[in-house]
Amino acid sequence: MKHSSRRSPTTPLYIGLVITLLAVVGYSWYVTRRIASLRELQNNLIDRNRKDTLQLLRIQNELNSIAMSMRDMLDVDLVEGGQRYPLTAWQPQFERMRGDLADAFEREQRFSPARRTPDQQHYLESSLTQFWDAMERMFQLARAGREQEARGQIRLSLQARLAALTNAVARLLVENNESEERADIQVKEIYGRVERQAYIFLTATLISILLTSLYLIRSNRRLFYQLATLSRQRSELAQTLISTQESTLRYISRELHDEFGQILTAMGAMLARARNLSPEGSSLRADLLEVRNIAQNTLDKIRSLSQALHPVMLDEAGLEQTIEWYLPMVERQTGVQISYEKSGTPFPVSGHSAVQIYRVLQEGLNNVARHAGTNRAWVRLRFLSDQLELQIEDRGAGLARERPRQGLGLVAMRERAELLGGTIEFDVPSGGGTRLRLRVPKQSLARETEESHAR
Amino acid sequence: MVGMAAGRRALPQASSRSPQTALGFQLSDQTGAAGLHFRHNNGAFGGKLLPETLGSGCAFLDYDADGWPDILLVNSMDWPAHARQRSTLKLYRNNRDGTFTDVTRAAGLDVEIYGMGVAAGDYNNDGYTDLLITCVGQNRLFRNTGRGNFVDVTSSSGLGKRHAFSTSAAWFDYDRDGLLDLFVCNYVKWSPEHDVFCSLDGKHKSYCTPEAYVGETCWLFRNRGDGTFEDTTASSGIFDSSSKSLGVAVLDYDQDGWPDLLVANDTQPNKLYRNQRNGTFKDVAVEAGIAFSAEGKARAGMGVDVGDFDNSGRLGVAITNFDNEMIGLYRAEPGGNFADLALESGVGFPSKTTLGFGCAFLDCNLDGWLDLVAVNGHIDDTVRSVRNVGYAQAPQLFLNNGKGSFQEVGEQAGGGFAQPKVGRGLAVGDFDRDGDQDVLMSTNRGPAYLFRNDQTSGNRSIRFRLVGTRSNRDAIGARVKIFGGGLMQSRMVRSGSSYLSQSELPVTFGLGKRDKVERAIIEWPSGRSEEYKELPAGRTYQVTESKDIRPEPHF
Repeated sequence: MKHSSRRSPTTPLYIGLVITLLAVVGYSWYVTRRIASLRELQNNLIDRNRKDTLQLLRIQNELNSIAMSMRDMLDVDLVEGGQRYPLTAWQPQFERMRGDLADAFEREQRFSPARRTPDQQHYLESSLTQFWDAMERMFQLARAGREQEARGQIRLSLQARLAALTNAVARLLVENNESEERADIQVKEIYGRVERQAYIFLTATLISILLTSLYLIRSNRRLFYQLATLSRQRSELAQTLISTQESTLRYISRELHDEFGQILTAMGAMLARARNLSPEGSSLRADLLEVRNIAQNTLDKIRSLSQALHPVMLDEAGLEQTIEWYLPMVERQTGVQISYEKSGTPFPVSGHSAVQIYRVLQEGLNNVARHAGTNRAWVRLRFLSDQLELQIEDRGAGLARERPRQGLGLVAMRERAELLGGTIEFDVPSGGGTRLRLRVPKQSLARETEESHAR
Repeated sequence: MVGMAAGRRALPQASSRSPQTALGFQLSDQTGAAGLHFRHNNGAFGGKLLPETLGSGCAFLDYDADGWPDILLVNSMDWPAHARQRSTLKLYRNNRDGTFTDVTRAAGLDVEIYGMGVAAGDYNNDGYTDLLITCVGQNRLFRNTGRGNFVDVTSSSGLGKRHAFSTSAAWFDYDRDGLLDLFVCNYVKWSPEHDVFCSLDGKHKSYCTPEAYVGETCWLFRNRGDGTFEDTTASSGIFDSSSKSLGVAVLDYDQDGWPDLLVANDTQPNKLYRNQRNGTFKDVAVEAGIAFSAEGKARAGMGVDVGDFDNSGRLGVAITNFDNEMIGLYRAEPGGNFADLALESGVGFPSKTTLGFGCAFLDCNLDGWLDLVAVNGHIDDTVRSVRNVGYAQAPQLFLNNGKGSFQEVGEQAGGGFAQPKVGRGLAVGDFDRDGDQDVLMSTNRGPAYLFRNDQTSGNRSIRFRLVGTRSNRDAIGARVKIFGGGLMQSRMVRSGSSYLSQSELPVTFGLGKRDKVERAIIEWPSGRSEEYKELPAGRTYQVTESKDIRPEPHF
């Protein structure tokens, strides 16, 4: 117990915190790295692929327009009255489309995926060149007036070459699609990994938090237990001290009252007798009278001291009468006007209990006189069905201002209440000030000794 | 308008002030009062044939050369196998008192054709404007006799024997020989037998988008000067069988004095044909940045107009597009490139949900800055149940604040302008000759609308009617620049533009509160440049090339 109480829980707690933080930092780093790799994949592969696909689609569109225009060139019967325009009329249109196509191919090459082989690229470029060369030859024929031959060229050569180009572009599109699918799988894998790692991290963090918490709970409980033990020991000590003090005071009080009282009483009687034996009017007689008076004074002082230390009245006349005797005395001594009120059907209170209640009353009134700054106080003694309640009330400065100066007094009052198995509480009555309430259960009041309450 | 609204809250009595006054102008619907009882017949019988959804156009033209703009409304007709009613285009003569008289029959124009668009121009330089009506089938060229009627000269002019799906057209003198040549947009290769089945909901047939059809080349016809035309489509480099053209505007984007062409294509790249000064054109749309949207996508271009809306001296461009595509509002950069300002100018967002057709730049409030009008309407009436856009849509009016930003104020313009319509054609012209341009709209299978524009802020204007002598008589392609009060403005005399429609030829300049123009420069298509000084505002000036400038008694 002693060993473990010396070991501070701070270090293990620090370790737990550091582990948790390290886990968070580690996981953050991991996630950041994953995101970076995802972004890279997206930039390098997916985005590039997508842009390339868009350009390929544009190329396909252009090739389609070219195919359509070539079909128009061959389609002599479409416009009423036969083919109105010579084949050469199409040349600017084809030049425009050639420009657009070249632009699209150039852009496409900028985004072309890394996977594309030089062979593929070369095939594409040469096919395109050949197509436009064939187109140029066709227009040469047309310009030379050999329209029929030119049309033949379109049918036999140009359309076939265009189809080959379209196929090549379609293949590239398919490849792009496949690589996009692959990238998709890769992305899914990364997400899966991150997800798994997230679960592991979460579990680890939860375990770490759980362990730290468990340790915290355990060390807290131990600390609490130690604290409770200390408190109990302190309380026991205080109560023992109080009891010892009370019995000592009682003993001294009794000794003073009984022994010295009897001696002084005897002395007084003997002095009276001696005075009666001395001649009338002699100085001896006067001296004896003075000595007897001194002895009487001393006896009074001793009695008064005995009462102050431990009112014998408590043992002989009981609590109620002692209070009734005590309150006027306090009024005389302190100038505080006290209204006393007693209610209920009185029941027996043992001397042991009575002295504790009496001490609480003493301390309470003492506080009123010293700290409350008022000259009115109310004392109520209530015999309730199951308990006795003592109230001391003032309309003075209030507890908050009184408290700092009388910490020990309050502690002592609490200990006394506890010694009786009762409670003590302080509150503020509706008019302000302080109200002390001591409540002691009826059955513990009748007990004679304090042993019954000792824990 | 924010200030207006705040003022209304603070001072309830201010609410009696009509909101239009804050705009500086007010539109009022004069259709009925003017006597325009017209209903477009698209021939729809349930077959959902593609041409049914695209017509038709309208025009302001001065066919009797009296200085008062007349109105032409193009019409389609029932399909041959489903004939129920007779429908023809309508020509309305301006009675000079705010009303019009139907003179179709007297003018010899009551012929049934499946008409789409109109281009009005004096191709024979006789002082009377002639008409090209584009059609599904055979286009018609009507020569104005000058005696109040027209004769069909399609065959004799060499424009016959051409069946196509023609849309917008424009007269312009591309070889600068003083004779108007003709550019005709064709949409797609289409015939009733080959109409494709498209559906929005998977069950019922609906109108197709042009992806379903093969494109068709536009046509360019050179005016030989003897009443006949030569097809120079192929030799000029205009030929392009992939185009699906709906709108055309004449402009001089490189400012070399040779007219260029801007063609709005549906789902195909727009074309900017640069005049190479030798009878040929080169498409530079991609380089100029006007072929595609900012995202590089070919949009569904419908109508197009050009105008110097930033008073830079260069012509900017507006192109209306499909729903879910903004209007393209392009500023001409000094280098000859176009920058799309749609979003930053405030035109983009309100036009994103509309399907725009006709569009035109005009200075509604005569503050010296060209505003933009666009008419909208979807192509299929079942669209409502499929997508969150209406079939009938509100026309829009974008007011130019002169600082590069536009505000849509159609709702505040009054006269029911912003009531949803299935808008198609749009033309502007000053029919009441009060100095500001009024708005004519045509709708698909519905009425035409005439909105009179009235100024409420006291802004003034000046107008020029140009008569060419060495240049083509209509002076199409001429540029007018005015200077005064710290503002330079420019206009070009142009045919074509908008969608299937043509606006009046005279040019109008808003002057704000200025009461004169310090300097006016006219650059004629012939190359001649004339300068006039100190012209008081508030009138129309008739300027005859190499001859004189004559103020008319009023606008």
